Amino acid sequence: MISIENLSKRYITSSGQERWVLKDLNMHIAKGRSVGLLGRNGAGKSTLLRIIGGIEQPTRGVVRRLCRVSWPLGMSSAMQGTLSGRQNAKFVCRIHGRDADLEDRVKFIQDFSELGKAFNEPIKTYSTGMKAKLTFAMSLAFEFDLYLIDELTAVGDAVFKNKSLKAFNDLADRSNIIMASHSDQTLLAYCQSCLWITGGKAFWFDDIEEGLKAYRGSLPA
Amino acid sequence: MTAKYTQRTSIEITMAVWKALFLREATTRLSSGRFAWLWLVLNPLSHVVLMMLLYDVVRARVMAGVDAGLFIGVGVMGFFMFKSCALRSVGAISSNNALFAYRQVLPIDSVLMRCLLEGMIEIIVAVILVLGAAFIGMDALPCNPFEVVIAFFLLWIFGTGMGLMLSACAELIPEIGHIADIIFFPLYMASGVMFSLTVIPPMYREYVLLNPIVHGIEYLRYGFFKGYHLMPTVDISYLALWAVTSLFFGLALHVRFARRLTDV
Repeated sequence: MISIENLSKRYITSSGQERWVLKDLNMHIAKGRSVGLLGRNGAGKSTLLRIIGGIEQPTRGVVRRLCRVSWPLGMSSAMQGTLSGRQNAKFVCRIHGRDADLEDRVKFIQDFSELGKAFNEPIKTYSTGMKAKLTFAMSLAFEFDLYLIDELTAVGDAVFKNKSLKAFNDLADRSNIIMASHSDQTLLAYCQSCLWITGGKAFWFDDIEEGLKAYRGSLPA
Repeated sequence: MTAKYTQRTSIEITMAVWKALFLREATTRLSSGRFAWLWLVLNPLSHVVLMMLLYDVVRARVMAGVDAGLFIGVGVMGFFMFKSCALRSVGAISSNNALFAYRQVLPIDSVLMRCLLEGMIEIIVAVILVLGAAFIGMDALPCNPFEVVIAFFLLWIFGTGMGLMLSACAELIPEIGHIADIIFFPLYMASGVMFSLTVIPPMYREYVLLNPIVHGIEYLRYGFFKGYHLMPTVDISYLALWAVTSLFFGLALHVRFARRLTDV
């Protein structure tokens, strides 16, 4: 459902030096396989997610999305601070061509996020927790075949946490996931395979447990 | 590929994005503060009133055979059509930055939709002002509506082209935005909003006519006022050339630097 060919990504640092974050990555992820991304901070996990999500362009190579791919869901919310939660929700419905049942979806987002009146206030007035709740609700309001998840964790009080965990499990059952996370527990719960990114190279492990073992072993004690 | 997976065509996606962005821009533009609509109409009107007062002091009630208020009013409307597209585009990318996290939304979409919205607002404001002036008994209704439409349209395209160029440049070199701000006041003065070409000594006219906006505004007046003397050196195709050229370079800049215009 996703095929990546000869993907390379280079950044030019402010001092003018080039740094290859990813180099010559080839990968085909079949349907029914959820993948965890391992690697230390700055290794390129988020970059890869953003390239798969189509927000960043690779320096070389191509990504073919042969299914419906979500935007990268994470704590750095894809929401405009000056707009209210409702306006952001409507915007996302509209760009996904969901005008027909827009009201239903917006209502779902409002109810699920439990924001109440704050749903009509600008996002910039929200607390971190409120933003995360809204992000979570928005990502559940659309059906994708592949979800890109960048450190999205359950948030809020116990009740909300339970509710979102259940919704997320349902989602993981019916769709595939590519997930960057530092939590072994989360990765083991949702992914079968993994990709370990380090020093511009990526290593594929069919079995996530083997991958985690190799990754942990490489870390300085 | 699953059965429920239906791919939208590029046109469908673009239209969906444009609609979403247009509505998003319109809600913020028209709901910012109380009476947002009123200020949109009052802003050009205030220019007319101020200029009228100025001219009243020098006792010129009639300019180029036209009531001074109408003369300036039409000039202001024409200039604002250009200015609000070109200048308000500069902030379009930064004020939508978070929304580029959706791969369907590109910086160019935000600039184009802002220009479309500004153009529509200026047209509505112009209609309100013209009907208002006609209501209080002024001879404000255009005698050649076709010329009026052409002039407004070309000023709008030119504004959009400049807006595309300025928005891309200002993202790459932030100083450009400030420089554009500074330049717009002298440009306003030099665009024939409050003077007629006939008062310019013939030897300087060719320099004034280098400014494409002058051509648009003079043509606009020619469309509005019966018997308005349009100088033979005024050439609407000169404005059209600038409009198409700026649009081309604006689009080219957005394509060339597409990767560098967002920082989500």
